[in-house]
Formats: sequence, structure tokens, C-alpha cells
Amino acid sequence: RPCTSGQGQSTAVCSPSCSCDEDGGADCSGRGLTAVPTGLSTFTYYLDLSMNNITELPANVFKSFPYMEELRLAGNDLTFIHPEALSGLHQLKVLMLQNNQLKSVPSAALKNLQSLQSLRLDANHITTVPDESFQGLQQLRHLWLDDNHLTQVPVGSLTHQANLQALTLALNRITYIPANAFANLTSLVVLHLHNNRIREIASNSFAGLVNLETLDLNFNNLMVFPKPIEALPKLKELGFHSNGISSIPEGAFHNNPLLRTIHLYDNPLSFVGTTAFQNLSELHSLILRGANKMRDFPVLTGTKNLESLTLSGTKISSLPMDLCENLRLLRTLDLSYNEIEQLPSFQGCIHIQEISFQHNKIQQIDRDTFQSLSALHLLDLSRNQIQVIHRDAFLTLTSLNNLDLSMNSLATIPSRGLSAVSQLKLSGNPQMKNMLTAKDLPKLMSISVPYAYQCCAFVGCDSSSKDSSMKKSAGAIVGDDGEQISMVMHCSPSPGALKPCEHLLGNWMIRLTVWF
Amino acid sequence: KSISGVSSGCQQGGCLTCSDYNGCLSCKPRFFMHLKRIGMKQIGVCMTSCPPGFYGTRSPERNTCTKCRSECDSCFDKNFCTRCRAGFYLHLGKCQESCPDSMVHNDTQRECVLS
Repeated sequence: RPCTSGQGQSTAVCSPSCSCDEDGGADCSGRGLTAVPTGLSTFTYYLDLSMNNITELPANVFKSFPYMEELRLAGNDLTFIHPEALSGLHQLKVLMLQNNQLKSVPSAALKNLQSLQSLRLDANHITTVPDESFQGLQQLRHLWLDDNHLTQVPVGSLTHQANLQALTLALNRITYIPANAFANLTSLVVLHLHNNRIREIASNSFAGLVNLETLDLNFNNLMVFPKPIEALPKLKELGFHSNGISSIPEGAFHNNPLLRTIHLYDNPLSFVGTTAFQNLSELHSLILRGANKMRDFPVLTGTKNLESLTLSGTKISSLPMDLCENLRLLRTLDLSYNEIEQLPSFQGCIHIQEISFQHNKIQQIDRDTFQSLSALHLLDLSRNQIQVIHRDAFLTLTSLNNLDLSMNSLATIPSRGLSAVSQLKLSGNPQMKNMLTAKDLPKLMSISVPYAYQCCAFVGCDSSSKDSSMKKSAGAIVGDDGEQISMVMHCSPSPGALKPCEHLLGNWMIRLTVWF
Repeated sequence: KSISGVSSGCQQGGCLTCSDYNGCLSCKPRFFMHLKRIGMKQIGVCMTSCPPGFYGTRSPERNTCTKCRSECDSCFDKNFCTRCRAGFYLHLGKCQESCPDSMVHNDTQRECVLS
């Protein structure tokens, strides 16, 4: 670009309607202009005319700006661009026409912009994209056509776009992806199709997209799993959440080994093929909810970098014994709301921090179930049928601070291994009648127990205290810097006048009779 | 349209509701809402495209601006850069400190180009 700032003869020429800088930038945005201002420097390389009231661009209006690289015309009321309006802009790289009133792509006006790399046509009213629309744009890399009124993929206009790398057709009215729709887009890396009305994708519609890494099909009307993704060997980010897909087939992603994220929530999933998520070594998170016809735990061999697994609302009743062999890097495991009866040992999942088996059919916890999980800090086993927990089951859980055993069939809990527990839930275990002891729970801050009298072990049983949070009877905790912190202990149901000893007097009638 | 008690003095064309203190509170359809930081304060700005260093995501309910990856000066979405920060070079939407084989880096464009 020629030097414009005080080094050569040219002075910073500007239009009264604009503010210009010494580098050839002219900002004429938001000035209520109805036409392109005159008097701008011929060396202008950046011209911002956005947010004015320009409705038409006449012929040759930018003829005298051979060095222009970026032209912003967004937010006007453009309805017509003369075929010769943009002639002379040989070095134009960025053209912003979004937020206007265009009904069709101004093909003729675009034809000579051989340096153009980025073209924004989003947020217009475009219903048609003539086949020759982008023919002259051999350097085009980024194309925005989202938020328009397209009813079909503009296949013809994309035929010659071998250099296109990023395309968005989101927020249109596209219902169908035809075969070979993007066949020549060998450089395309990103394709956004979200918020359309896509019901069907032809079997080889993604053929040719050998470099595609991101495919966004969220918020469409797909009823069938998008099998054509098997033509995308480099796919990393895939989204098809908020569709109507009911099953994920066996080997669904067998041709997409580089997948890192798959967003598939908000689909009425009922079946997931057990081999669907196999060999996805880059996948870090998998969230599957509500696949209520799913009976078998998915085969996850080769999906060895999974850090978060959520699989809930299925009919899975058993887990593979070698589950942790494949999932060594797992940090959170949520298998709640299934029908699991027995747990394997999670000993190999050495990094795991959170486990939830809420609402299953587990009956016992063995000695080695959670052995050596020193990073585990949250364990939710509520709403099961647990009758027995081995006395050493929690022994090695040095970080465990949140333990939920509520709504089970427990008579007692281990006294060892709970030294770090600060939140403990035991309510809903009617056979658990024995008194608990505070010394086994030095860090306890909050506890729910089956019977009010059991709170007496943790909080003062002074009947005058109304507040459910009572001073801890075992004295205060010493803070790091030696200063005493008075501990506020939450215990429920808190004992009081009417609930002194739940199990001695049995029911309400007897208690009221005794009271009067 | 201004909310009662909220001044209509906001100058920006894309604003739907605004206040003198917080700027735009909501935008007209098809405009991107961006929270611009001015010192300790943040004001709402409605724009036809997100500022450099941010990319826009359109959706039926609202249009938002989200920060690009740290190595990008501008980007198409969170995984695809369109211009790199100094010291990085663009190739197929990625900003890297070195270029693939058979390519060299162009410092002015901050891109990898065929050698």
C-alpha cells in the first residue's frame, strides 16, 4: 500500500462527513448518509460506511479507490447494487454487506473482485443465489449467507469455490441437503447449517469435504442420524443437538476418528448402538441422556481420552468389569437413573473426582469398589437399594467430602474413611436407628439423618433453639492461622419438643397423647 | 423504544432499549449485542458485526459476540481464525507459530504461503 501518512506528497484528504486517520482509514459510519461521500483520499484502504441510509450503489461509485482493501456497508438499506458499482476495487479483500435489504446476491457487481477473501451477505432477504454469483471470486475464503431466506443449498454457486474455507448457511429455510452439494469445496474447514429446517440429508451430500473439521447441524428437523458424515475423515466438532433423532446406529462415527466434541442432546434418543462411540481417541466428553431403549453399556475401547461421561436414563443393568481399563483419564462419571445392580471396581480410574450412581438398583458396596480413588471428592449413591457397605469401602478416599447415601436400605455405615467428609446425607434409611458419633466425622458441616434424635450427636439438644442451624456441640475448628472459627452445623431433621425420639414412641398419635 | 425511567438518549442505531448508564440493554433484530468494557464499566453496544477479536453467532432469539482464541486477531468461529496475532501465522483457519512443510510465513499478512 502507498504511504499516506506524512511521508510522501499526499495529505490526509478527508470528507467532512467522515473522520480519517493518517493510514488511509476513513470512518463515515452512523452519519445518516444517503450516498457515498465525496472528497475522500484516493489512498483510502479502509472505508466504513455502515449504519447509514444508503439504499443504492450507483455505477463506478468506488472507481477512485484502487487501494481499498476493506469496505463496510453493513446496516444500510441497500436494495440495489449497480453491476458496475464495485468496479475498480482490485485489491478489495473484505466486503461487508450484512444487515441490508438485498433479495438476491449482487452477482454482476461481484464478478471482478479477484482479491476478495471475505464476503458478508448475512442478515439480508436473499432468496436466490444465481449460479454465477461467486464465479470471479477465486480468492474467496469466508462466506456468510446466514440469516436469509434460502430454501435450498446454493449448490451451483459453490461449484467453483475450491479455496472456500468457511461457510455459514445457518438461519435459513433449507429443508434438504442434496447429493454432492459441496463436492468441490475441498478446502472447506467450517460449515454451519444450524437453525434451518433440514429433514433429510442425501447419502453422499458431504462427499468432497475432505478437510471439514466443524459441522453444525443443530436446531434442524432431522429424524435420522446423519450417516453422510462418514465422508468426513477430518471432522473434529460435530453438533446435531435439538433435532428429532431417535437412534444412533452401530459404528456411527467409525469414519470420524478425530472427533473431539459431539453435541447430541435434546434429541428423543431411545437407542444407541454399543459400538457407536468406539475408537474416538480425541473425544473428551460424552453426554447421553434418556436413551431409554439402551440396554448395554457402550463399548468404549479406543476412546481412551474421555474425561467426562454422562449416561443416564437408560435400561443398562450391568457395567463391564474392565470399565476403567479404557477410561483411565475419567474425571466425572454420571451413570444416574439407570438400572445398574452391581458395581465393578473403579480402581483404574485414578483421576476420577465425581461419581454419581443416583437412582439405580445397587445393593451392596464392596471393599474394592472405590479403592484408591484419592481424587474422588463427590460420591452420590442415593436412591438405590444398598443394604451393605464394606467397612473399608471408603478407607482410601482421602478427598471424599460430599457423600450421599440417602434413600437406601442401610442399617449402618462404615465409621472409617469419612475424615474429610463435610456433607453427608443418610436420610431415608429407616433401619438406621443407631446413634452416630461425631468423632468419626471431624470435618462435618452438614448432615441429614433418618431420625431427629440422631442430630443430638452433632448439635446441642437445647429445646429452646428454634434455628435449625445450631452451634456445633463439639467446639470450634482451628483455622489455618490458629484463630478459632466457630462452626455452624446443619443437621436435619433438627430435634425439638415434638420430635425428641422418633423410634421410641413410634407414631404421631402416641406422641400427641403423651404430650397432653 | 425506551423503558420508562430509562433515557432514550442512546445514540446507537441498533439499540432497542437502552439506558444512559448501561448503554444498550437489548438490540433490534439481527444486531449483535456486545458488552464493551470502558474502564471499570461495561456498556451494551449493538452492532452489525462483532469487534475485532470476537466472532458473531446468530440465533433466532439473539445474536451474541464471543471472544476468539487468544492467538487470533479475528475469527469466523471459535475454531477458525481469519487473522493471527503477531508471531502467529494463518493456515486453514489455524494460527500457529510455524508453517507446514513446503510453506513459508509472510510477516505482513501473518500467513503461511507456498514457498
